[in-house]
Amino acid sequence: MTQDVQTIQKDRMRYTKDSFSSSLVLLAIVLDCLYFVSIYQSDVGTYYYNWVIGVSIVYNLIFLLAAFLASESVKNRRNGYAPVLVVLGLIQIARVFFLPAKAHAATALVGGVDVPVMGSKQYIYVVTCLILSAVCCIIAAVTSARNNKILADYMRSIENPAA
Amino acid sequence: MAELSLQHLEKVYDNNVQAVFDFNLDVKDGELIVLVGPSGCGKSTTLRMVAGLEDITRGKMLLDGKDVTDAPAKDRDIAMVFQNYALYGHMTVYENMAFSLTLRKEDPNVIHQKVLAAAEVLGLMEQLNKKPAQLSGGQRQRVAMGRSIVRNPKLFLFDEPLSNLDAKLRSATRREILLLHKRLNATMLYVTHDQTEALTLADRIVCMSMGHVQQIGTPLELYDEPANLFVASFIGLPPMNFVDVKVEADRVVSEYMTLPLTASEKKALAGYVGKEVVLGIRPENTKVGSEFQMKVINNENLGMNTLVHGHLGADGKGEKVTCKLNGWCTYHNGDVASISVTRKHFFDKETTCAIKMEGKV
Repeated sequence: MTQDVQTIQKDRMRYTKDSFSSSLVLLAIVLDCLYFVSIYQSDVGTYYYNWVIGVSIVYNLIFLLAAFLASESVKNRRNGYAPVLVVLGLIQIARVFFLPAKAHAATALVGGVDVPVMGSKQYIYVVTCLILSAVCCIIAAVTSARNNKILADYMRSIENPAA
Repeated sequence: MAELSLQHLEKVYDNNVQAVFDFNLDVKDGELIVLVGPSGCGKSTTLRMVAGLEDITRGKMLLDGKDVTDAPAKDRDIAMVFQNYALYGHMTVYENMAFSLTLRKEDPNVIHQKVLAAAEVLGLMEQLNKKPAQLSGGQRQRVAMGRSIVRNPKLFLFDEPLSNLDAKLRSATRREILLLHKRLNATMLYVTHDQTEALTLADRIVCMSMGHVQQIGTPLELYDEPANLFVASFIGLPPMNFVDVKVEADRVVSEYMTLPLTASEKKALAGYVGKEVVLGIRPENTKVGSEFQMKVINNENLGMNTLVHGHLGADGKGEKVTCKLNGWCTYHNGDVASISVTRKHFFDKETTCAIKMEGKV
């Protein structure tokens, strides 16, 4: 890539939005929704009937709000939201061990037979959704931070050409 | 840029209302043509037919020799600037200007260079990240023009782009359009109802009324040699004064004035002796003199000139007239002013066509 083309690309960043990072975060939200609508499907639904449901619902709402705000902010190249996305991504990974792993390991007695609370197929599905959601958040954070740094360096170079 | 040829263009709507009658115009490469006329005269309809936003009922349109009569708007390589800007409110200035090129899937780097070049020309560099709601009317209009410029079309169309601006901004933006035309050497078709815009911008003017073309010519031709009563009354500010006069051998006579005829005027009016014609006198073609009298209603002192409004005759019972006299005049309401005429125009009373003086085509 020639120097001219590189410069043009950097200059373009002054006027265009970071749609790629923003779209990744929106994808993370969609994957989280897919996880959330699937997690409580079980032949032994009563396994989930405790305070965990409440916490899970509240956290999901927090995640949706925080991720959406982060999506809009990274789209407009605002600094400070990359760490937020990294944290959200790490929490998504941590969630694998909180509910899906425990439900997958647990069994319940139904009609005198030990039945798994969460089958392997469902377990793989929900874990995949969570991991992909986390990956999207982290990649969005990395690309957003990288683009913002490139733009900031470019702006500094055109404002102080002698430096 | 391009040459445009409009041949016998007509527009008839579904309810059988005909908006444009037999419109013929050849536009040379790089020319700025202004369509001017009162509201409802068919000028915007004509422009929209050229743009492809209205079907052409009859006639042909050629752009650079190619028949585009039935071509859809998107295939005509024409850009249009609208009266109400038609900007996308949710997009920034940059995105608005880049939009058409983005739709065409052009290289983003090329789009960027074109947008910046247009923004530089129009003085919009500081506004590129703003949304239309954050801009003034003049800036929004410049964004609309920029959106057209980036496409580098064969033909620019302007549909009363200054109508929504205040007087001061209108004047400034008009100068910008003129500069833009000179800079781009673009072929432009411009619609307005404002004759000042027409006279200042146009290489040639098409004056329209009730769907018909009244006259096509340079601003000077329309001002100096109006083809008929309509053009004479429409072009010129203040408007021309009209008086019915009877033609005699060497003069024209009305109840309140008797004006001698020059040799060329006598020759031109030879066929009208004994008949009535319409005498046209531009306010700026009058001076203090002794050819007729008028009873003054009021003055408008403009510094170097004075507009004197009144009625013909010492008793003020004649036609209403306006005279533009040199200097600062101090007539009061009821005063009688004595006026002479420096230039006369004559019109056939039945056909309303101008009676041409000798040597004029």
